[in-house]
Amino acid sequence: MHIPDGFLPATVCAAGYVAAAPVTWYSIHKINQKENPREGVPKASLLTAAFFVVSWIHIPVPPTSVHLVLNGLLGAVLGYFAFPAILIGLFFQAVMFQHGGLTTLGVNSIIMGLPAVVSYYIFRLRNILKKDSQIVTGIFGFLAGFVGLGLSVVMFVVILLNFIPASFDIETERAAIYTLALAHLPLMVIEGAFTSLVTVFLQRVRPKLLDDA
Amino acid sequence: MHMKWKIITCLIFVLILGLGLPIKALAHGAKIEYTVNMAIELVATYDNGEPMAGAQVVVYAPDDPSTPWLTGVCDDDGRFTFIPDTSRPGTWVVQVRQAGHGDMVHIPVGQDMVATSGVGGFGVLQIVLMSACVIWGFVGTALYFSRRRA
Repeated sequence: MHIPDGFLPATVCAAGYVAAAPVTWYSIHKINQKENPREGVPKASLLTAAFFVVSWIHIPVPPTSVHLVLNGLLGAVLGYFAFPAILIGLFFQAVMFQHGGLTTLGVNSIIMGLPAVVSYYIFRLRNILKKDSQIVTGIFGFLAGFVGLGLSVVMFVVILLNFIPASFDIETERAAIYTLALAHLPLMVIEGAFTSLVTVFLQRVRPKLLDDA
Repeated sequence: MHMKWKIITCLIFVLILGLGLPIKALAHGAKIEYTVNMAIELVATYDNGEPMAGAQVVVYAPDDPSTPWLTGVCDDDGRFTFIPDTSRPGTWVVQVRQAGHGDMVHIPVGQDMVATSGVGGFGVLQIVLMSACVIWGFVGTALYFSRRRA
């Protein structure tokens, strides 16, 4: 899911940064509008740590394997903190492990961060129904995790398909991209279930942590 | 006269013998030519150690980084071998790609090239230690912002 350095044209990398900048600004703007912006930092920091390390957890989906992303969970629990959290997490992943890259940081943050914001709004829909119901929280938690990753996969695939370098065999690469996208279907269910479990658990033990949503 | 013909016959025989022996020797000769070619073997794996089987490989020569010098595919073990043109010294670039994932490696090649190996990425212990440091940074941040104000 992380596009490395050298895999996209410079214009696309620049466009990624151009797109990420206003989203980051808007997220910080919304955070600053809170009564106490510092209040959300501890959980954002801890979930950034989870996001940073979770990419090492590989789930075999023959013929390939995929890794957890958790962008839907971050969106559901963190709200507007999710985008900067993912940006920071991606930065550390790129610098420390070469997961992704610094030139593609903007693109990757859009691929994973923007769906996280969408997940936040999906999870907020539970407020229309019974907010305190664990079943409702569980369902919308699942949808947040499922859709968050699903949108990321769609964006990842669309970007890659449109920018396959001519030096590579386009048909082979296209087939490999489709295979990888299909392998993410079970992962979407897993992330949905995980997000559902975490949100229901938080609602039971510390409902205040879900106040943002 | 008789003596003269004897001498001439003898000279012809020696001449044939002299020419014939080297021809016979050349027919049994062997020739070995050699050039030293330093083959480069790549092994491409994913982070979890899984080989990048069937991944596409593109090799770029140092003097033309925009035109592929060689293209190929990794085998089932993620291996790919090629012999660079040592008359084009410099840093050769090899890109391995599969489904938008992969890496790029820079390999120095020169006339006085010696066998070397390079490993990208980190060992397990390094990864654990680096992860622990970063996680501690995030936990520390969380603790700092969650402290009670005096």
